[in-house]
Amino acid sequence: MTRKNILFAIVAAALLIVAPIGQGNYITYVLCSWLLFSIAAMGLNLTLGYAGQVSLAQASFMGIGAYITALMTLNGIHWIVAMPCAVAGTFFVGLILGYPALRVRHHFLAFVTLAFNTLVFLVFRNEEWLTGGSFGLVGMPRPDFWIFSTMKQLPFYYFTLVCFLVAAAIFWWIVHSPWGRAFKALRENPVRANSLGVDTRRMTLLAFAIGSAYGGLAGALMTPLVQFIEPGSFALIHSLKLLLMVVVGGAGFFFGPMLGAAIVILMPEVLRFTEGYYLIIYALLVIVLMVYSPNGLMGLGGKLIARFRPQREVRRDMVQGAQL
Amino acid sequence: MPEFIQIMISGLSAGSIYALAAVGFTLLWQASQTINFAQGEFVMLPAFFVLALMNLAGFPLWLAIAAAIALSVLLLGMVFKKLIVEPMLSHGTLPLVIATIALGLLLKEAVKEFYSPLGQPFPSLFPQDVFTIAGASISIPDIANFAIAMGTIIALQLFLQRTRTGRCMQATAQNPDVAQILGVDIKRMVLYTFLINGALAAIASVLITPIYLAKFSNGEVLGVVAFTAAIVGGFNQIRGALVGGLLIGVIDNLSATYFSAEYRQAVPLVLLIVIILVRPQGLLGTAEGRTV
Amino acid sequence: MSETILSVRNVSKNFGGIQAVSDVSFDVKRGEVLGLIGPNGSGKSTLFNCVLGQLKPSAGEVHVNGRDVAGLRACDLNRLGVGRTFQQLSVFPQMTVIDNIILAGQEHHGTMLSRLFGPPDAGLTEEAEQMIEFFRLTHLRDELAGSLSYGQQKLVDAAMAFMAGPSLVLLDEPAGGVNLTMLGNLKERLQTYNESHDTTFVVIEHNMEFVMSLCSRIIVLAEGAIIAEGTPDDIRSNQQVIDAYLGG
Repeated sequence: MTRKNILFAIVAAALLIVAPIGQGNYITYVLCSWLLFSIAAMGLNLTLGYAGQVSLAQASFMGIGAYITALMTLNGIHWIVAMPCAVAGTFFVGLILGYPALRVRHHFLAFVTLAFNTLVFLVFRNEEWLTGGSFGLVGMPRPDFWIFSTMKQLPFYYFTLVCFLVAAAIFWWIVHSPWGRAFKALRENPVRANSLGVDTRRMTLLAFAIGSAYGGLAGALMTPLVQFIEPGSFALIHSLKLLLMVVVGGAGFFFGPMLGAAIVILMPEVLRFTEGYYLIIYALLVIVLMVYSPNGLMGLGGKLIARFRPQREVRRDMVQGAQL
Repeated sequence: MPEFIQIMISGLSAGSIYALAAVGFTLLWQASQTINFAQGEFVMLPAFFVLALMNLAGFPLWLAIAAAIALSVLLLGMVFKKLIVEPMLSHGTLPLVIATIALGLLLKEAVKEFYSPLGQPFPSLFPQDVFTIAGASISIPDIANFAIAMGTIIALQLFLQRTRTGRCMQATAQNPDVAQILGVDIKRMVLYTFLINGALAAIASVLITPIYLAKFSNGEVLGVVAFTAAIVGGFNQIRGALVGGLLIGVIDNLSATYFSAEYRQAVPLVLLIVIILVRPQGLLGTAEGRTV
Repeated sequence: MSETILSVRNVSKNFGGIQAVSDVSFDVKRGEVLGLIGPNGSGKSTLFNCVLGQLKPSAGEVHVNGRDVAGLRACDLNRLGVGRTFQQLSVFPQMTVIDNIILAGQEHHGTMLSRLFGPPDAGLTEEAEQMIEFFRLTHLRDELAGSLSYGQQKLVDAAMAFMAGPSLVLLDEPAGGVNLTMLGNLKERLQTYNESHDTTFVVIEHNMEFVMSLCSRIIVLAEGAIIAEGTPDDIRSNQQVIDAYLGG
């Protein structure tokens, strides 16, 4: 962690802390929504941006996390116990789903996750005895942490913020560890990585499972936020939205998911007239980005900055003279 | 028994239409390594071209259909290839996959916003007469759909195998470098594949939409069916897509009748997952080389 | 008595009707630098891939350090002590040179968990820097590997192959596309490494001069079979070899 990074992190955290102050309940609610979708998008970023796998099931992992949390909290179990169950549950489902799918060609994971998402949706919708079916589950309590209750919107925001900061810190740690180096190698040159001893199958599976667990965490936060969940919130279209978030923000960049989620969640709020059209605009943006800047907005930003900075000395050996 | 025959017949009829979508999907993959996640929407859209031409421009049905097929070939074939696929070929498969996912979403939402979110009735092309054979009711649309869809696929096979252009297309798909050295204009061959897919999708659209209403969300189900049929049958050949399509059509109809209505959609999905895990080369495919 | 690191026994490989490799056998002892040459289509690459476990021989066996390598995944083979270099696309372009090299070593250090909870460099910075210095790339330590010249990337590739201290390294056309001055540098570094670490090399190459000056023993393949084996001098004067390269 360089000094610049630490400073940046502190400033960012400070901004996040003051953001909702003075804003009404609705804005605070939207900010909570942004934070939790950022968590889900962060997870998908690991799977897609670092390990290069297209997962179309992130919404279903959010759903699994949300329903596990809902069922447990509705039965009197505190959120602080329900949440780890949701995270662990989605991690294992990710392992079970990914293990066979990744043994074959990797473009198949997209299909398998697509099918999986719809299957999970069908189960949520049909198994009324468990999930309440189309009627969903309602009335999940917001967690009470003895010294403070998260019933009101503002305390709930800070609770969500803490979870987000912890999740982001863990993600930062993973990505800067040797695991992160292996993930990056996986994305850039999987054949070479394999020949150097990187167990590409295992690492890809891990990236997928960790990504899914982040989805589960986001779901666990969604339950007390909205206090009403139903199968439609976790249908395939939401997985596609999450995918677009990661891609537009910039897959493989640390802040990409946050940026992407901000655009998806805040755009309809800020640009009211785009209400019905925002998905169309978003999809168009993705297509244009894929053609011109596959690295999303973060990548575009990087390119622009590079253009304005004085030309960096790329080959220092030219300065010292050819060293042979 | 008569009920079973009936189910088989309507299953084969629907399946032959699914096969059209699956064949197009397979062709795109073979010729240019493009996994078109928007294939379902490609089959949803042309029906709306027909409706728009009829309702807003007053075209008669047959003219509207012809124009819609032409439009599909142009937009879903040529424009798709030139504007989206070509610029992205250098970036690798991942951006293209994502772009087609976005494209599918775009088409779906565009129809929902600019035409209608409600299901629209779509005129049937054939008289709705039904006649009974051995106790089973068979409708003219069933037979006509099957005949047209199968006829199209057989014509396509003949084109690919018997004509010079068709063989050049096959060569391009199998080994583009060698084909190029031998003088084949591979860019053009790949373009033809996209144009053919546009046409196949349009024909499938016009045949299948009368059965359900024309709705912006049709692409979801049709897309899954197209991929499933292509993968289950065998991703690297047309025969596979054909068999896969027919199989899915029959299985879907069987499960609608004998299995749970609520989980009807689940059957092809489970089949897809099982095939990918157990026999990724599909029922008719040949096992590809070991991967890393 | 030098031990046998690589043992190829009666290996044949056919693809449908094409016999790419026929009944090839040879041993490579520790510390040897073996060159594998032959005209295009002679089966060198196929044989190479059989040794790497990428292809399963139609007949015969390949043993590395006494273990049968058929069907082994590349990462498992690497953990057995086999390294390799690549003709193309051999580095991780968006990662720095030092990151490339640390990656090459990290999978051989500790366990999965220790790699997650331990230091970001897996404790390998010093070792990586030594390797970088050995290849005289110190001034490029923090450059993105993709921005290096082709020849420099080849050096990084070799550094990565050596980082885990393999007992056997397979070099796939190391001289291909490298300019003359850099070639001399590469050859000299490979020789020094081989002498100081007693690592066994098997080199596939087209560049005759490179192979003749680097290798202690050479095997010549033509049409899938061995037509000559011996020291560089033997091979240079071998009529069959001359015919194979010049003949029809």
